[in-house]
Amino acid sequence: MKNLYFLSTLFILLLASCIGDDFIDDFVEPEIRILNPIQSLETGSTYQIEVLYLNNVGEQEATEFIWSSSDSNIASVDANGILTAVSPGVVNITIQTQLDLDILDTSFELEVGESTIEAVTSIQGIIETTTFYTLEGNFEINETANGIVIDIDETYRASSNLPGLYVYLSNNRNNVSNAHEISRVDVFSGAHSYEIEDVSINDYNFIVYFCKPFNVKVGEAEIKN
Amino acid sequence: MKNSILIVLLGLSINLFGGGPWPQPKGAGYIKLSEWWTVFDQHYTDSGLIDPNLTTGVFNTNLYAEYGFTNRFTGIVNANLFSRNFMNNLKSNTTGNTIVPGEALNSVGDIDVVFKYGLNQPSSKIPVAVSLTLGLPTGTLGGGAQGNLQTGDGEFNQMIQIDAGTGFKLGKFPAYFSTYVGLNNRTENFSEEFRYGLELGINIIPERLWLTSRLTAVESFKNGLQSGAINSTSIFANNTEFTSIGLEANLEIANGFGLSAGFAGAIRGEIIAAAPSYSVGVYKKF
Repeated sequence: MKNLYFLSTLFILLLASCIGDDFIDDFVEPEIRILNPIQSLETGSTYQIEVLYLNNVGEQEATEFIWSSSDSNIASVDANGILTAVSPGVVNITIQTQLDLDILDTSFELEVGESTIEAVTSIQGIIETTTFYTLEGNFEINETANGIVIDIDETYRASSNLPGLYVYLSNNRNNVSNAHEISRVDVFSGAHSYEIEDVSINDYNFIVYFCKPFNVKVGEAEIKN
Repeated sequence: MKNSILIVLLGLSINLFGGGPWPQPKGAGYIKLSEWWTVFDQHYTDSGLIDPNLTTGVFNTNLYAEYGFTNRFTGIVNANLFSRNFMNNLKSNTTGNTIVPGEALNSVGDIDVVFKYGLNQPSSKIPVAVSLTLGLPTGTLGGGAQGNLQTGDGEFNQMIQIDAGTGFKLGKFPAYFSTYVGLNNRTENFSEEFRYGLELGINIIPERLWLTSRLTAVESFKNGLQSGAINSTSIFANNTEFTSIGLEANLEIANGFGLSAGFAGAIRGEIIAAAPSYSVGVYKKF
């Protein structure tokens, strides 16, 4: 009978080892992201602006966009986001989308002039640890013909004691479920590069280092101009 | 390695009636069935500081048995009959959606076979014994979608240990003190380890209730591969170190049959869970 009690206790303990829930704070401000921003547009030419909507966890969602120009005599924009440079000057281009209760918008300043210049072709930043594991370094992102290249310089150091350390491009600094997985980290000090195809320099807000097996963020770098 | 550590912690609860420098008398033995568990959501990093992790649990059902082949030579088996390793679901606090579903791995765990020999008479004032532990990797590695669940360390190890101790009176209570040091040689590019421990036991109620406190430590030589390079995805894969303290109560009911309960936890560590472990069990001396 005593053995029966004991085995019952063991069984209860095993039942108590059921899988529970852990929650992460992964809220981000929704945004309209311009993927190919432009500084100036040559008079008489057109340019397709590409945008996407990122929801409150940084996940892309389909939505309708409303485009407008502050002065269509300088530059006009149609319902598909195609800019037409009409005459020299400066205008504000605004993009809106209707959310459940609010209207979300973003705008940028466009100069119409003698040449077309894209806004961002290179970004620099700093990788920082978010834990007590070593992770630090400076980086630069540049566009290539097929995508981007992330050059991490000689200041980089990372702990090699983490199993399954991965680096991602993400629009959520705490959640990589919608992120672009770049690679498993196999360089733990010194300069190195990641070449990433079919990704634009404006597609993501963060470089995130995650311990993939344990779903724990180890470090991050903000990608911003 | 994780399981090795767990077994080391488990070892805290198996020494009272047969461990230490005291071999079993010829024909005598001790058997214990116990459940050991820990659930942790933080761990000691490689710098000894504490970071969070996805909640992880390990539950081990263990059978520990000693038998005295002679008055000096004792054989020991410590078998992890059933081990459950799980990780929680990871959910979004914003949407409530599951980001990464939790998983569990259930299997037989690792098994230790120990040969202990008394260098002097067990009745000596300070008995000394040496032991050889063979760690058999009978557990499972690489469970779950991420391969991060394991019920064994996947490596064969052999440890040489020397124990010494003495009995005395602590006030009006019978008591004993024992200590050990050991070298654990490991395969599969795991680092070797230096292990040591101290144990103080007090017989609070004569022949009924023993209270035991323990300090156990593992120091890694860090001569294997880095934890991240071992083909195990556990954060406890290699180069783990810790110092833990524990308490245990053993209550003898009748005829050598008794109950035990204890807990232990690391007070310092590197790459190991930062949470207490618990154990309950029944034992029988014969």
